[in-house]
Amino acid sequence: MAEFRAEVFQNEYLSDGATDVHGVVSVTCSGAGVAGQASGTEAAEIIIVDTSGSMDMPPAKIAAARRAAKVAIEEIVDGTWFAVLSGHTVAQMVYPPHPGLAKMTDVTRRDAVEAVGRLRSGGATAIGAWIAAATELFQQAPAAQRHAILLTDGKIEGEPDGALEAALVNARGKFQCDCRGIGSDWVVEELRTIATALLGTVDIVAEPADLEADFEEMMRNAMSRGVADARLRVWAPQGSEVLFVRQVAPQVDDLTARATRISPLVVEFPTGAWSDESRDYHVAVRVPPAPVGNERLAARVEMVIDDQVVAKGLVKAIWSVDTNLTTRIDPAVAHYTGQAQLADVIQRGLAAKASGDERTATVLLGEAAKLAHDSGNEDTTRLLNKVVEVVDVEAGTVRLKQQVAKSDEMALDTRSTKTTRIRREP
Amino acid sequence: MTCPHCAEPIAAGDAFCEACGTDLGALAGTAPATAPAVAGAAHDDPITAPSPAPEQPRTHLLQPGGGSGVDTSLPCAACGAEVADDGFCTVCGQRARTRREHWTETHERAGAPAIGAVCDKGISHARNEDAMATALTATGLAVVVVCDGVTTAPDSDRASLAASASARDVLAAAPASTGAFAARLSAWEPVLAASCRAANAEAVAIARTLGDPPEPPSCTFVAAVVDDDLIAIAWCGDSRAYWLPDGDASVGAGDNGEQLTLDHSLGTEMIRNGMSREQAEADPTCHTITRWLGADSVDATPEFRALRVERAGWLLVCSDGMWNYASGPGDLAALVAQAVVDGADTPTAIAESLAAFANAQGGHDNITVALVRCEPPGSGTPPTTT
Repeated sequence: MAEFRAEVFQNEYLSDGATDVHGVVSVTCSGAGVAGQASGTEAAEIIIVDTSGSMDMPPAKIAAARRAAKVAIEEIVDGTWFAVLSGHTVAQMVYPPHPGLAKMTDVTRRDAVEAVGRLRSGGATAIGAWIAAATELFQQAPAAQRHAILLTDGKIEGEPDGALEAALVNARGKFQCDCRGIGSDWVVEELRTIATALLGTVDIVAEPADLEADFEEMMRNAMSRGVADARLRVWAPQGSEVLFVRQVAPQVDDLTARATRISPLVVEFPTGAWSDESRDYHVAVRVPPAPVGNERLAARVEMVIDDQVVAKGLVKAIWSVDTNLTTRIDPAVAHYTGQAQLADVIQRGLAAKASGDERTATVLLGEAAKLAHDSGNEDTTRLLNKVVEVVDVEAGTVRLKQQVAKSDEMALDTRSTKTTRIRREP
Repeated sequence: MTCPHCAEPIAAGDAFCEACGTDLGALAGTAPATAPAVAGAAHDDPITAPSPAPEQPRTHLLQPGGGSGVDTSLPCAACGAEVADDGFCTVCGQRARTRREHWTETHERAGAPAIGAVCDKGISHARNEDAMATALTATGLAVVVVCDGVTTAPDSDRASLAASASARDVLAAAPASTGAFAARLSAWEPVLAASCRAANAEAVAIARTLGDPPEPPSCTFVAAVVDDDLIAIAWCGDSRAYWLPDGDASVGAGDNGEQLTLDHSLGTEMIRNGMSREQAEADPTCHTITRWLGADSVDATPEFRALRVERAGWLLVCSDGMWNYASGPGDLAALVAQAVVDGADTPTAIAESLAAFANAQGGHDNITVALVRCEPPGSGTPPTTT
């Protein structure tokens, strides 16, 4: 039985008249088990492999896709409903041969592996149509925990504008989708839109040779998510305003706009399936000020599964005249505020660079270099160093590199949301 | 490990429970640690230190309400909505008060003086360092003790609670007095003095168990007994007792009220040196007390006062968190009268009303208000009907 724990990091002390309360709620799940293996539960997996014409250029890509699909299939545990789709101008069944989901057994696994070995490329990239097809297939396992892996190497060009958005509206809440771009001809924004809407991850696999390991890990992660669907519930007091609810670890994801109002004081956010893992949420609430000496709750932050509260964190506000207490900024709140800002300046900096505004790009990416350095985010620092030359990290001064591999810029962009955890005192 | 008293987590080797202050060492060495606290008979919360069994050391009987001792059945004090299991209001988020932060004591029995008392954290202070202890004995003796912990000394909340409870126990255990007024009066003075010594010993003992900190916990002291038509008072510091006789309808309530105690404070010195009461009370050093109980006390000798009750009225015993907002006996009598008009129909309800008034004025200090309804034989009408 999975267990959830919520821990709150905040400075609850507010100066007289202050209204804004920030807290980081760290939610940890343990004992999650295996997807679809608890009694009364099922899991369903769809692997969508881009087989558009470009996958043959170079042919290493389609070959890597075949191998990656094969290892992903091998990771799917027995009893899971599954299908493999080949995506080009339309989505085509690879396995099972007729539209539907197969139950994973030794036999179906062998047949599916054989089928993906025959994948050939040709046609356009119509990701909206692929998402729509997966949505339809998943309807055959309505009670299952549903997850898809989407691989593409190109940008959408085989379908009308708006097809992807329409498909996502329909797919939202019906399955989760992890997205991978192979090579550097795909568009970060497109895959990020899909991953954000469908509660998944997005990443670049620049080298076809790395795809196999990535797929293996991705599917293993999916299979380890034994908690099918948990929701983040936030209560805030009457007269208050939830300024934002942001996942800040392992990656930044602003949930605010995805709130569903449950009651006048309560909103909920989908968080998808959970494995044994920890996710941090930064919650900011503007509360009506109370007299000095008062202690009030600014937010009840709860994890909810099947309408049962499985963990609860309390974000509090205590009004005080003691400036020693009220001026302190909680290290976790400060760290994650910086990490969110880091993701923001990287994305805006790269966008400025792409539009030819090198001046703005230099300022923003300089800010990013400083933020990454100050917070000890070594992965991001490493990615930044491929795009800029750091002149003075303390001052945040950088020069844009003249020769930058496109895939390096894309890696920086896609991984800009990955955060480091704060080094907590023991 | 959890505290046997309030069930909050404690660490092995802890001398005290961080939440409720229970002396874990003393508990470990004595009677069953899980023995339930003896609740005061008519108290709404089992907060006050129960009367100890004779052989048990005193300090382990501290029971300041418990760290998370929130009564979630009561509505939110701020907005009246329901309080959740987590101790916070479901609508406005206000933290519910713990029993140490707000409790009442009520003793009402036909033919005996009625007692109603409230001890409240107020608004500004982080904790409630005031404490009170009351009793109504089998012989009809009313006992009220109020101690105001000194905020600048840590753990004064524990000192005040222990001190008030032990003084109350000494007074409640005194042999029934007999004889003429003068004889009873002279009998009470040594008992009151003994109760003050007992209270001081408790405050000192807490400093000892804390390893004699440089700022030892300390508190004021005021004790009152109502013995038939005799009110006897002892005090040390600036917690007060007032006599508020019922007023004639024609001249309004409380025209004959009287402050029975004289603060042991710099404010008193100022008035003695010719300053007006208003001027003195506006001076920031007014509240600097010159006598108190505790390990660092330079003078813990109580002063005494007695009064013969000739007509019905209220004995009011309070901490400065109350009299800061209504220091004149007429002002207090008017608040009592207004509370009755507003529908407060028990001494406790009136005391709550006075505390609410102090909170409405800002609640800058802890507030304790204890009322004893005194109706000597033949003094006339019942008290609280309007």
